[in-house]
This record gives sequence, C-alpha cells and structure tokens, in this order.
Amino acid sequence: MSTDSLGTEPARTARENPVVGANGDQAGPFGGATAARWVGRRMPRREDARLITGRGRYVDDLNPPGTVHVAFVRSTVARGRIVGLDVDAAREMPGVVAVLTAAEVNSPSHQFWQTMTGPQSVGTPGRVLADTDVRYVGEPIALVVAESRYLAEDAAELVDVDIDVEDPVVGFAAALAEGAPRVHPELADNIAEEVPTADIPGFEERFDTAPHVFTETFDQHRYLCVPMETRGVVARWDPWTRRLELTLSGQGVHEPRLFYSRMLGIPEDAIHVTMGDVGGSFGQKMFPMREEHAVVIASRLIGGRPLKWIEDRAENLIGGGHAREERIEIMVATDDRGVLLAGRADHLEDVGAYPYPGNGSAAGSAAGMFPGPYRWAGPGSVKYTGRAVYTNTCGRCAYRGPWMMETTGREQMMDVVARKLGIDPLEMRRRNVISREELPFTSPSTLVYETISPAETLEQAAELIGYGRFRREQEEARAQGRLLGVGLSLYVEPQFGFGNLSTEAATIRVEPSGKVNVSMGTGSHGQSVETTMAQVVADELGVPIDDVRIVQGDSAATPYGPGTGGSRTGAVAGGAAHAAAALMRERVLGIAAHMLEASPSDVEMVDAVVGVRGVPGGPTVTLAEIAGLAYFDTDALPPGSEPGLEVSRRYKAPLFMFSNACHAVTIEIDRETGKVDILRYVVSEDCGNMINPMVVEGQIAGGVVQGIGGVFYEHMIYDSDGNPTTTTFMDYLVPTAAEVPDLEYGHVVTPSTTPGGHKGLGEGGAIASPAALVNAVRDALAPLGATVNGQSLSPDRILEIIEAAESATADETPS
Amino acid sequence: MAEITATQDAGTEMEVALTVNGEARRVRVEPRKTLADTLREDLGLTGTHLGCEHGVCGACTVLLDGAAVRACLVFAVQAEGAEVTTIEGLAADADSLTAVQRAFREHHGLQCGFCTPGFVLSVTAFLRDNPAPGEEEIRDGLSGNLCRCTGYQGIIRAVKAAAEEMGRR
Amino acid sequence: MKPAPFGYHAPADVAEATALLSELGDDAKVLAGGQSLVPMMALRLARPEQVVDVNRVAGLGGVRRENGTLVVGATTRHVALERDPVVAAAVPLLARAAPYIGHFQIRNRGTLGGSLAHADAAAELPAVARALDAEFELAGPDGTRRVAAAAFFRTLFTTALEPDELLVAVRFPIWRPRSGFAVAEVARRHGDFALAGAVCGVQVDAGRISRVAIGLIGMGSVPLRAEAVERSLTGSEAAALDLDDVGAQAVAGTDPPSDVHAGTHYRAKVGAALVARALSTALKEADHG
Repeated sequence: MSTDSLGTEPARTARENPVVGANGDQAGPFGGATAARWVGRRMPRREDARLITGRGRYVDDLNPPGTVHVAFVRSTVARGRIVGLDVDAAREMPGVVAVLTAAEVNSPSHQFWQTMTGPQSVGTPGRVLADTDVRYVGEPIALVVAESRYLAEDAAELVDVDIDVEDPVVGFAAALAEGAPRVHPELADNIAEEVPTADIPGFEERFDTAPHVFTETFDQHRYLCVPMETRGVVARWDPWTRRLELTLSGQGVHEPRLFYSRMLGIPEDAIHVTMGDVGGSFGQKMFPMREEHAVVIASRLIGGRPLKWIEDRAENLIGGGHAREERIEIMVATDDRGVLLAGRADHLEDVGAYPYPGNGSAAGSAAGMFPGPYRWAGPGSVKYTGRAVYTNTCGRCAYRGPWMMETTGREQMMDVVARKLGIDPLEMRRRNVISREELPFTSPSTLVYETISPAETLEQAAELIGYGRFRREQEEARAQGRLLGVGLSLYVEPQFGFGNLSTEAATIRVEPSGKVNVSMGTGSHGQSVETTMAQVVADELGVPIDDVRIVQGDSAATPYGPGTGGSRTGAVAGGAAHAAAALMRERVLGIAAHMLEASPSDVEMVDAVVGVRGVPGGPTVTLAEIAGLAYFDTDALPPGSEPGLEVSRRYKAPLFMFSNACHAVTIEIDRETGKVDILRYVVSEDCGNMINPMVVEGQIAGGVVQGIGGVFYEHMIYDSDGNPTTTTFMDYLVPTAAEVPDLEYGHVVTPSTTPGGHKGLGEGGAIASPAALVNAVRDALAPLGATVNGQSLSPDRILEIIEAAESATADETPS
Repeated sequence: MAEITATQDAGTEMEVALTVNGEARRVRVEPRKTLADTLREDLGLTGTHLGCEHGVCGACTVLLDGAAVRACLVFAVQAEGAEVTTIEGLAADADSLTAVQRAFREHHGLQCGFCTPGFVLSVTAFLRDNPAPGEEEIRDGLSGNLCRCTGYQGIIRAVKAAAEEMGRR
Repeated sequence: MKPAPFGYHAPADVAEATALLSELGDDAKVLAGGQSLVPMMALRLARPEQVVDVNRVAGLGGVRRENGTLVVGATTRHVALERDPVVAAAVPLLARAAPYIGHFQIRNRGTLGGSLAHADAAAELPAVARALDAEFELAGPDGTRRVAAAAFFRTLFTTALEPDELLVAVRFPIWRPRSGFAVAEVARRHGDFALAGAVCGVQVDAGRISRVAIGLIGMGSVPLRAEAVERSLTGSEAAALDLDDVGAQAVAGTDPPSDVHAGTHYRAKVGAALVARALSTALKEADHG
C-alpha cells in the first residue's frame, strides 16, 4: 500500500505522470500534415462495452448444437510404466460418447514442431496421450467424451489406470546426477538444451587481472502464468466437407491452423480457426498443447459433433504449463569503483517433461540480453552459458519475458556487488549504465542499441521514488530497529523480429460508406489491440476513430501473423497498421486530388474529409464519396488508378527492437511476522511513442503485480515424489488488490526507428519486478548481514533468513 | 418463500423456479449442478464466468437476493424462489451502463475482461453497502476477486470514481 | 471440476432434518453456507451421497440474548455477525473476528454453524468459540444436548456431532461492558486462512486482570485455548505484564502444523507475537477502572 507516513512524495495520478521527450502534435483542419489526433491519447477501450456487460464471447460461451464435453484421465504419478489401462466401465456408462487412449489417438505420423522453432528444431519427443509410460503428474492418459462435463468427469473416474511407479527426476540435481533416470528414454540424457559460448581469447585474464571478482548464485522458483480464463477448445470435424472448425483460447489463430495442418497432414485450407475474446494468457496459450491436440484428433475420430474441452483450474495449475524455475550463477569482475570489467553467467533451466515450444529453453535469448543496460568492457567481456534440463514435472511454457532470469540475476548481482564494495546500488548503476551519448551502442553480446535511454529512466525512477530522502528515512527507521529497504532493477527489453516473428500484416478495406475495416493477424487477449491499432490507423489515414474497426481472430479473414505475444504488437503490428494506412491514404488522396482538381501533394484528409491544404473553406470531398467512385464509378477514377479501396501491407520488422525501464520499490518488513509491506513502487519506462498511455501503464501494472505475486505469494511446489502440492487457488496464491501498492509511472520517450516510433513493453513489468523486489528485501535485511539470493520470499522464508542471519551474528560475537 | 421440503435422488433432475434479472425462469437440473453452470448452460447467461470453480477467484460472482455470492458455491436447487442478478441484468444496452460499468471503462479497469463481470457485481454490491469507502476498505472489498491483467490499478481507480459519481447523485 | 452426484434434501424444520440425518446415516452431509463443503465437493475430495441442506430449516438463523448469553442460530451468516449491532454489543469478539473470514462474498453465504461444524483449527470462529467457552446446542432424533467448546472440537475437522445430529445454536457468554477484545492474525493474503493468530478477551479491575480468555488460531489440530496462561494472568497487574513472555508461554507446548504456507517453527514464533499483540490491544480497550 502506498503511504505518505514516511513523508515521501505524494503519489501522482495517472494524468500527472511525467513524460519526457514527448511531442504533442496539434493541427487544425487542413492546416498541416498527418496530425496525431488519436495516437498518444488515454482513450477508453473499444473492447470494453461488450466485456463490462457480460457480452464478450469466450470459448466456453460457445455451445454449438450437439456439443459433447471432454474430460481427461491424467497421471497421478510422476514417472512410471503403465501396466494396465481399463476403460470398459467408462465406455459403458450412460452418457458417454467415447473413451479414447493413446492406441486410438497417437500416431507416428504426427508432427509436433511449432512454426517459430521450425522443423529442424531439437524438440522434445512428441506424443499426444501417454502410451507405455507416464512422465509427469497430470500427463493426459485418456480422454472421455460425454454429453456433459459432469458426466465426463464421472466416467473419467471409472477409468482404471495401473502404473508401476518409478523414481522420478525432480530438481536440477536429480536431472544432472550421474546415471540419473532419463525423463525421456528416447534421449541420451536429461539435457534439453545447451548454450555453449565459443572461447573468447583473453577472457580469463580479465578476471585474473581485475581488482575484484565476485561470484553469486541466484535461484528462482516455479511460478505460473495463471490467466483467469483457463485453456479451452471447441473442435468439430465436418466429415462431409472434410474441414476442421476450431475455436480456441489462444494468442492467435494462425499458429494453431499451421500446427494442426502439419500434425494431421491436411492442407491449411481444411482448417478454419476462430478466436473470440480470450481471458488472458501471458504466454501459456501461445502454442497449442497436448490436451488441445487430443481434442482436435478426437473430434476427427468422432466426426460431426463439436467437442468441447474447458480446462479446469486444477488442470491449469497442474498441467497447463509452468515457468520460472531457474538458477543462474554469475561471476563479475570490477574495478575499485564498481565499474564492470567482465562477466560470466551460467544459467540452468528446468523445462519439465513436455515443454512448449520446442525444448522450452529461453537461454539463447537470455544470453543476448544478459549484458543489459550496462557498458561492461565492450565485446568479449561477457560470456554466457546455459543448460536446460528435463524433469518429471509439468513442462515449461512461455511466460511473459521467458528469458527474464538474465535480469533477475544481473540486477541482484549489481546490488550484491555494490554492497560488497561499499557503493550504493544506485551509484553502482550510474557508473555502468549506457548513456544516450554512447548510442548506437554495441553490447558485449553484439546487439546494437540505437534508441534506448537506461540512464534517463534510472534517474527518473530515483527521483520519483525520492531515493536520497528514502535513504535518510531508512537510516532513522533502522535506528529504531525497523527494516526498510529500497530495490532497483534496470533492464533492456527486447522484441524479436526474426523468423516467423519478423512480420505482421494489415489489410485495410474502406467500405463504400467510408467506414474502415482493418484485418490483422493479431490475437488480442487483453492487449487492447482493437483500440490501439484503430488509433494508429485513424491517425495515419485521417478518419474518425469510430469509423475504424479492427478484425482479428479468424484465420479465413485475416493475414498471417504469429500471434499476439513477445511484446511485438506496438512496433510490428503497429508497423503494419501504419504502412497499410499510409498506402491507403495515398490511394485515397490520389483519387481525391483528381476529384478536387488539385495535386495529390496538396490535399490532405482530416476526419474522413479531403480538402486542399491551406484553403480552409475550399472544396472538399468525403471518404464515402471517394469510395463510391472507387467501387461504383470506376471510369471516373484518375487514369491508371486501381479500382476499389483495398490495400494490404506486410511490415518487416528489424531483427531486434529494444525498450527499457527502471523499477524502484520501497518496502518495510515486519520483523516479527516476516510480512512485507510494499510502500511505493515506481516504474520509469521508455517504450517510444505511446499509442495509448493508459494501455501502456496497464501493461506495466499487470506485469509488475505478476512479479509481486511471483516473489512473495505464488509458488508451484513439487514434493520429492514429483507430486505438485499447490494445485488449487487455496494454495497457489495469486495476489489480490489488498496485496498490491499504487503504482507510479514515469515516461521517457525516445522514438524507435519503426513506423510511428513505438516499442514493445508488454513483458517488461514481469521481467524487472522480481529483481527489484528481492533487492528491496536484501536491502531491508542488510543491517542483519542476511543473504537473500533465492525466492519465493514467503513470510516463513523471510523469518528463516532473519534467524539465520541473527544466529550467524551470534556465532561471530565472542562471548 | 413458503416452507418447502425438497428431496431428490442423485442423478435425477429437479425443477427449480427462480427470478433471474427480473424474469421468472424455470429450469430442470440435477441437484449437483451449480448455479453458475445453470446460469451459463440452461439460461444462456454466459457473462457469469468460471475462473476456478472452487470459490476463490470470484469470476462467477452474482447477486443472490441482493447479496454478492460465488455462483460456483451455490447449487441451482438452492436458488429455488431466489432472485438472481447477473452481469447481463445490470444494463439494458451500451448506452445505459451503470456508474460502476462506466468507471471500469473510463479507468481501464479491465484488460482481457474475463474477471470483469465478477468484479462489476462485487463492486456494485460493495458500493451499495459502503457508499463512501476509504482506501483500505476498497482494497478489502476487492480482495475477493482475482484479476491477472490489470494489477488492480485501474480497478481501484474505477471504484473510487464510481463511489464519487454515485455520491454526487 | 464438477461435484459427484448426490441426493438433495431441504428439510423445513429441525425435526425433519434430524430425522433425515438419522435415516441417511453416514452417507449424509449437512450443507449450510457451503463455502468450505462445496469447494471440497467440486474437487471431489468430499463426495457425500446425500446432502441435507439446512438453509431452509425454520428457526436456525438469528441471534438473541438469553440468560447472560448470546444465542446465535447455526445458519446465522458471517455477514450478520459482522454487522448486527446486537452481536457487536454482546460479544464484540465475534463481531471483530467475522471480518477476518474470507471475503465479503464468502461472509454473505458462510454460516456460524457451518464454520464451527467444519472445525478448521485455522479458522477464526472456532477459536472465538473456544476462547469464550461457548456452548453448542446439538439436536438429535431424541432431543437436544449441550456440549462445551472444549468437548465439541475433537481433532482435525472432527467434532462431537454424531451423524444424526445437527448443530442448531451456539451460546456465547456475554462479558460485562468495559471489557477489551482483540483479534490478531497473519495470513498469506488478505482473507486467507490464518498462518497463526490469537483472539483475546480481558477484564481489568483496579489495575489487575480479573478475567482473561486467549484463543489460538492455527496452532494445533483443534482450536486451542491458553488456559495455563489465563490462570497465571488472572490477578496479575496489567501494567506490569511482559507481553512477549506471555505470548511465548501461550504457545509453549503447542505443536502447530506445517504446510506449504508456513512451518511449525514459524507458526509457533509468530503465534507468540500475535498473542502479545492481541492481548496488548485488548488491554488498551479494557477499562482499567
């Protein structure tokens, strides 16, 4: 909870948030070029009208005639051989349509690779249902199809599974142990991925010759995406047209279409995927998983009737994809002033048994981002290795900034080193952060930063949180035995523009009425795409925003896109919207100029009316009139002009795009109970030109609170037998409104080089917050000499840390 | 409500008469069918969402005789004779939103929208009973509903704004 | 996550309810507010074949004063404990503990009787009933009997209720005005079950403690009462107490459970601190005249 009891700065309301570097475009009718009328505004969302009235359409809201319902029979054992599987009683139960097992569902011809990872990717051995063995608790063994979900669950209980239990592989040590059982017997060992680094000449000498070398290991525990809407699918195979009609809760329609086309060996054309409203995802629904595969295959086996599977919350927690169980060992060399001279990181990821996508590792991305916003000592001064291991636990899935361990580790290391050198963590960062004057800057991992502003966000965050004043208050509080702490986290957030992530497209159709339809390959699940992309198109084209409609979520009506994710919408989908709208504007103005007998370079469109620039009150023509000509009076078009008003542009993004931010948080720990009270939380960010600051701040807030949940509340715990023990919302603790502070925001605006100057920021809140929070706890407990390198930081854990520090101090004190 | 004695065996259906959003409705349901499932499946009111089905997330919150309750923790047969208000019952159309609904929209109180109906109904009941809540009361009042997108920032702003607007009327 | 099938019964009065319970025996489960039972049924961790819904049983709800006690009907909902001025005046500890139960949507539905019969040692109301030595009125086919709180809570989730018995009311002693009461607890999140907690009542006369009750939340398999500490406190000078020491004594000998949210050591340590906090608050409120 935000509090002024410490005499800190008053919280700022959203509208007062400082914005550095923004330019406010203003323009009158026909007074200037494209005026920013919608982009940059805190516009209420166009999605909201249906969602606040209960008229959204989520996958579970679909009940096509004849729908039958699916429930899964799942493994209750982490690792073992299936020695008996009796489905007869279930099959005979009234109301049961089918009970299917691996024998019916699995096929050696199934392909399991995602478009993003590609056919050559080293993926996990694929299967749909468990066949001869089970590899994690929750693994689907059979699916029951019945007339209702109630009956399907009744029948699932009648399926008799007999498993010979074997020792499971749980945790890093077990996975890496000599002679460890293999999670996947098809593979040589439990190593899912290795990220080796080529030998860098002279690298070791950097450490040998450095004044100071520090090594520290940071652990992160398993926590999860937990969208409020679980996964779900409705699939119907039409045996007459031989087409699959698929509606699912996902992040886009095109990946499922391509995936199932490959998996089933049928043309893309035979699959129609639609997606209505989606109740959050955070990475979990980016790629269809085994349960969706099973339902799709079952729908084909059954034929004709729509099959519906809505994952329940226990299934979602146990088997819906896990994240964040990682460890990183970091070694850094510095000079006496704390200037970073060299760094080495060794990253370990637990990807569970069946990760998505590919082998689940994000170490490659983490390697690129580890140097972060700091100079280091140029090329060759940072080395990164990583390993991902399979375990008999639920597979890893993408979660908001899957590579974030680089920031979690690096930003904690900055604080650990600063403390050991007797430097304030803020000052330590100041001495290493890349300044604007150094741009373009080539990072030690050879990424080129062109438009970032880490130094500016660091200073803005420090100022907003009143860093200096807090340090003085902290000193007074410490004198009274109170535990106050401040934590910083500074990072660079990448948006990847390679492979299938490199493009997005927009198809714009101006209707004869002048209304504007924009089809995009995005798959919004909370990102406000229907609003932000309309803002972009309305400005670029020069029409009222109410005239623009964004169409997405239909594979037959939209251009290919990899799905909304990876913080790509602002820059990449935005780039496509800008490009298509610019092309449409050119077409429209060309026709309008002809109609107005003016030169195309002299006309402009404002609010769907074209006039001659600098001639207020002169002749005008409306977009509807232009469209009428373009569609129905084509002989009146200017010579050579294409009839109709339909354009499509695919935008190719740069290989890498970067945004950046700094998080600053102050906390107080109750020494008696170990409870942490977050006093203030500030985020200063630079996502370039903001399309809608309200949406920007909403994305940040959601991510930050996921970090708060991750550090203090959420923990997916496995026991040593591989049983998940936090499988309901009574044990897996998602933070509520009572656990979060009022967030405060500062904006630094450095436009990117992409059209519109936007950058992605959807993942950053979740990437940076854990390190900031752990740093704050570390700072609060510093006077006790406590070591805080792991999570989760439950009150119990915090008291343990305090007690360990106190007993260490007691041991050192001579009696 | 007259005193009743109802007895029904497992697996067979019971007839339940209730009022939903002001309309008298009758359904035939198994005793084990939750009110949430009945609203969604038998009455077509899919605005009531299921986020956990074990009474924690609050997405299925409805007003039962005016009181905000988890519809996943009430069996439909228990709602015999009751008045139920769902999210669909708050506004007749997009132009007649309640102050709470308007505030959620104006203050970005939702992103994916899945938890929103539960929040809107909880807040509607909360502000009816606490017309001028303080900061801590608001957080307490909201703590029975989970949201994963907004970090609650817009929701808290919306509750303050709605309270202010309703106070002015 | 759907409940298994069950037969449903909604008796109209206590006699009908107890007759049903007696007829159905071990297969039946009483459904009151449903805020603990229904989640267990949804997870199929509870799968009663018969459910006896007591929400329509006449005369089970409501509160009344009677012979120096507050009689609270079993189906009185938590929201009534929280808001009813009669409860706040007669048994302030009950009114103050109620807001700690879950969230307001839970309190709109959950009942006093349901919570006590469920007998979760980490819940607030069992600790209040135990601390205040409430008396439980159980109706069976052969009439009613009264059981003291100490005898009602047997062990984890187990009470003195026989399968054919129904908890119909609970009698809370009414302390004199000018007493002090307080609840202190720590939960992972707002509204969660307490990791540890304490409820206290205290009366002070001429500076000395004349009556004290200390109940412990989440510190054992049943709600506990720090009776030895209560005895040692009675008669002692309120201002001279070492509250930390009192807290430590109150939890001494307890063996709190360990789970994914907190270990035994944490619960004992924090329980002691919370006893001190609750007692300190209660003492401040108590009129020291």
